[in-house]
Amino acid sequence: MSESTRQLVENLNALAAGLFLLASFGIVAMRQARGCLMLFILQSLLLAASAALLGLRFDSGHLFGVALVNLITKPIVVPWLLRKVAPAGLYTRREVDQVLNIPTTLLIALALSIGAYFLGVPLANAVGPEYRGPNVSIGIAGLLLGAFTLTVRREALPLLIGLLAMENGAFLAGILLAHDLSMLVELAIATDGLIIVFIVGVLVRAVAKQVGTTAVGDLASLKEGGGHAVPGAGR
Amino acid sequence: MNVVWILVPPLVAALLVGIRTPRTWVPAITVASCLIVLAFAGRIAWVVAAGGSVTDRLGPAWANWVAVDGLSALILLLIALVATTAAIYSIGYLAHEELVPVKLRLYHANYNLFVFSMLAIPLIAEPTLVWIVVELTTLASALLVSFGNTREALEAAWKYVILSLMGAGFALFGFLVLFAAMHATGGGSYTWAGLAAAAPRMPPLLMQTAFLLVLIGLGTKVGLVPMHTWLPDAHSQAPSPVCALLSGIETTSILYVILRFFPIMQSVPGAHAETWAVVLGLISVGTAAFLLLQVHDYKRLFAFSTVEHMGVMLTAVGLGASAHYGAMQQIVSHAVTKSFCFFAAGAVLLSTGTREIAAVRGLIGRAPAAGAALVLGGLGITGAPPLAIFLSEFTILKAGLATGQYVATGLLAIFIVIAFFGVMVHVNRMVFGAPDSDQPGTAPGGGAASSRLPFSCALALVLGAVPVVVLGVYIPAPLHALMQHAAAALAR
Amino acid sequence: MTDRIIFNLVQVLVVLGFAPLVSGVTTRLKEMIQSKRGPSILQPYRDLWKLFHKDEIVSEDSSWIFRFTPYLVFVAPIFVALLIPVLTSYPLFFAFMGDMLGGGFVLALAGFFATLAAIDTANPYGAIGASRTRMVGFLAEPVFMIVFFTVSFVAGSTIPYIVQQKWVTPIANFFAPSHVLLVLAFLMLILAEGGRIPVDSPTGHFELAMIDESKSLEYSGRGFALMKWGGQMKFFVLLCIFLNVLVTPWGLASGHTLGAVLLAIPLVLLKIFGMVLVLVVIESSFAKLRLFRISEFLGAAFITSVAAMIAQVFIG
Repeated sequence: MSESTRQLVENLNALAAGLFLLASFGIVAMRQARGCLMLFILQSLLLAASAALLGLRFDSGHLFGVALVNLITKPIVVPWLLRKVAPAGLYTRREVDQVLNIPTTLLIALALSIGAYFLGVPLANAVGPEYRGPNVSIGIAGLLLGAFTLTVRREALPLLIGLLAMENGAFLAGILLAHDLSMLVELAIATDGLIIVFIVGVLVRAVAKQVGTTAVGDLASLKEGGGHAVPGAGR
Repeated sequence: MNVVWILVPPLVAALLVGIRTPRTWVPAITVASCLIVLAFAGRIAWVVAAGGSVTDRLGPAWANWVAVDGLSALILLLIALVATTAAIYSIGYLAHEELVPVKLRLYHANYNLFVFSMLAIPLIAEPTLVWIVVELTTLASALLVSFGNTREALEAAWKYVILSLMGAGFALFGFLVLFAAMHATGGGSYTWAGLAAAAPRMPPLLMQTAFLLVLIGLGTKVGLVPMHTWLPDAHSQAPSPVCALLSGIETTSILYVILRFFPIMQSVPGAHAETWAVVLGLISVGTAAFLLLQVHDYKRLFAFSTVEHMGVMLTAVGLGASAHYGAMQQIVSHAVTKSFCFFAAGAVLLSTGTREIAAVRGLIGRAPAAGAALVLGGLGITGAPPLAIFLSEFTILKAGLATGQYVATGLLAIFIVIAFFGVMVHVNRMVFGAPDSDQPGTAPGGGAASSRLPFSCALALVLGAVPVVVLGVYIPAPLHALMQHAAAALAR
Repeated sequence: MTDRIIFNLVQVLVVLGFAPLVSGVTTRLKEMIQSKRGPSILQPYRDLWKLFHKDEIVSEDSSWIFRFTPYLVFVAPIFVALLIPVLTSYPLFFAFMGDMLGGGFVLALAGFFATLAAIDTANPYGAIGASRTRMVGFLAEPVFMIVFFTVSFVAGSTIPYIVQQKWVTPIANFFAPSHVLLVLAFLMLILAEGGRIPVDSPTGHFELAMIDESKSLEYSGRGFALMKWGGQMKFFVLLCIFLNVLVTPWGLASGHTLGAVLLAIPLVLLKIFGMVLVLVVIESSFAKLRLFRISEFLGAAFITSVAAMIAQVFIG
């Protein structure tokens, strides 16, 4: 690979990672549930793009495999599965009151991603001197922002997407850190993501039917000291 | 004998209960599969306890994926044991409420898948695959937790899934970092044994990061404070036999994955894995001990006690090699006692129809069997002599004092005593307290209350009670050998 | 030397002359997208002509600020046009006077006086518009800052002529995440600063919903013409910075002859019209945001600009 192509590939990979970070921010703050899903799909596409570009960079067929698996499962199978199992109203929901207001949320998210830099750089350096790109730092940022999404959101779909985004973040770092993980494991992890979507979808459907809302974050009847006297409620 | 066969019965059973087998067969299929697994696990444990290997005849292709040492064999045995008694208990427990066939099949299919995923944890040697089966335990048990399909059960299941999977996300990254650390040494087999062998050459920073990420990530699923918030909810809202599985053995089998890191971390300079374990363990024990005092729901009581015991185990592991045997003993006695506790709690629930501590009084008069079981369970789980947990906690404390770690050991002892009072105050009131005048005998709201315990529940209670009592006074020689092998697996 | 001064003056004349045209094209394109015919693209010239020939009415109670402001609003973009690459890819005579930050300050000064003038007449709508403009302004300010910091961080300079070369040599730099994200952030800024949808509706006639327009409500005649022309030039200048410095530094004259510079005019206009098309499509596909959602829009711009910076730092 010539020097200029290599540089172009590295820059494109960095661009994919940068947009990945932006998509993570969007997932934290986007009000519309459908928009969240779209951002997640975008994020997964960017992850696949990064994997493919790194595959080009390292001349690794394995990473192309990872890109392909990501390309098939997340943008295609996940929405399909959600349509099958989740309650119909899930997409049209909007987050009316997040736990924090959006500018505060974004500022905290910003602080998290700067923190991710200080975690990511030493990690990437410890692995070795070969090309690292921004994947590790941005991957950690994606992981943290996904976890942050889980703490500030109440609506079911954004919460589910926060989970999947965490996995995406771990993967974005993983394709650089552990780019020769066995394909069996990669496939298993991808399948695992689909099972998560399925189980969470079934749960949300049950919640929507039983409680009448998909804002699952608002469920808070179980706690200590409150004496939640609901006699004879199930066992 | 290929050890992997142990995974087949639960899978087959899950398939069988899913298809159109006669409805009455469904619980029997689960029990049968659990019995086969128990026999298998017993055989594995027997061979391992005698110092043999169960994996030596596996082809080299398996060596990178499957490994069984003392620790694995011990966990396998306990999973099989608790799964069997809980399966027996399920028959009567579920017969009690008229379920539609679909729900019954769903329960048993999930139960078997859950057992399958738990059994896979100690068997598999490849860390990332272990991570995947840990995820599978969450996903297989999520629908069991929400089985009651009430608002509370759904909330509990939701919290369980979200927090466990959030932890798992961090753990996944931890395992990927671990892989990178392995890779940085120039390869080798990515298994627990391979990691322990390569550990001295791995970059310490990566190892530390991986350890902390896994400790926090999987610690969420173990229920370590401050990541424990979901645990009392999930472990109390699920049907009682599932609670027995979740609290009795699932948490321990996840803790097993964390324990696998200790021999690896010992060769990493400046890692302080032991210190982390003691600090996190003591925080868990202490917090749980105080929270026990203000619980309103007797199933939550035992759920918090699980948090406490996970802390005890982690602390014991952190106290050093001499306490490792005690830790293993604690794992065994906790598994048998906690599952028994939830059987007892289930029996109380069946006979009173409420989970409120305040609504249950004078149980010994109204439902003597349930009352007696609850007392035994309460005494057992809080470590009253001469029951199993007393012996194991005593062993741990003794080892801690012998190695001069007075502060940690002292704190641990104090917290255990507080927890004793926390549990026994409530249990005492429930069993022997005079019924309040304003509380009706049974709860309002149509809880199905009856004083007759189904036969299978009684059977499970009796079966469960045997090790709780026996292990306090006598430890069979093979079990002793197995626990010694398991403790040895924690050291390098 | 003298030719550089001449080129510089040509640059100013281009800004002066074509700014109303860009405005006319924008209006026309927008109407066409909405399946209407729309006014002629020369309409803004006719408006200006008409306004210059009308009487000007100035409130007795207003101060000198009110009378002074139109001239400042008119002159500020001209000043900036002296500093930035409108037609040439090499610095012209007056370019030494300021960098991009300097240009930003000059535009901000005009904006500040426009705000003061809006309050000056005691027209309540003016004050509403002024306060809203300030709100948008101080939310946009940090984004501007981060954008400029990142630009100077990447290019090692805030001189636009150096910056524009940085993105395309080598061409791989064009795809650097910091560049693409900066472009995104700056695009959002242009929408906010130019008073376009989704922040503000430039064609709205409902005073209570106005942000930018309400500041010139009290002006008439020549003053209004200057305000209008100044606004159009400011938009033109912003587009020039966006296109010539950040996005597409191609099509500028690199030769030092008058012919080359004059040839650059159609190319630059072509780029600007292309950009206008993009803006019009954006305007037509979004609804105007509620006032208090503007902070979220600019928050997104802020995050984008910081992401640009972070991405640059992460690459190291």
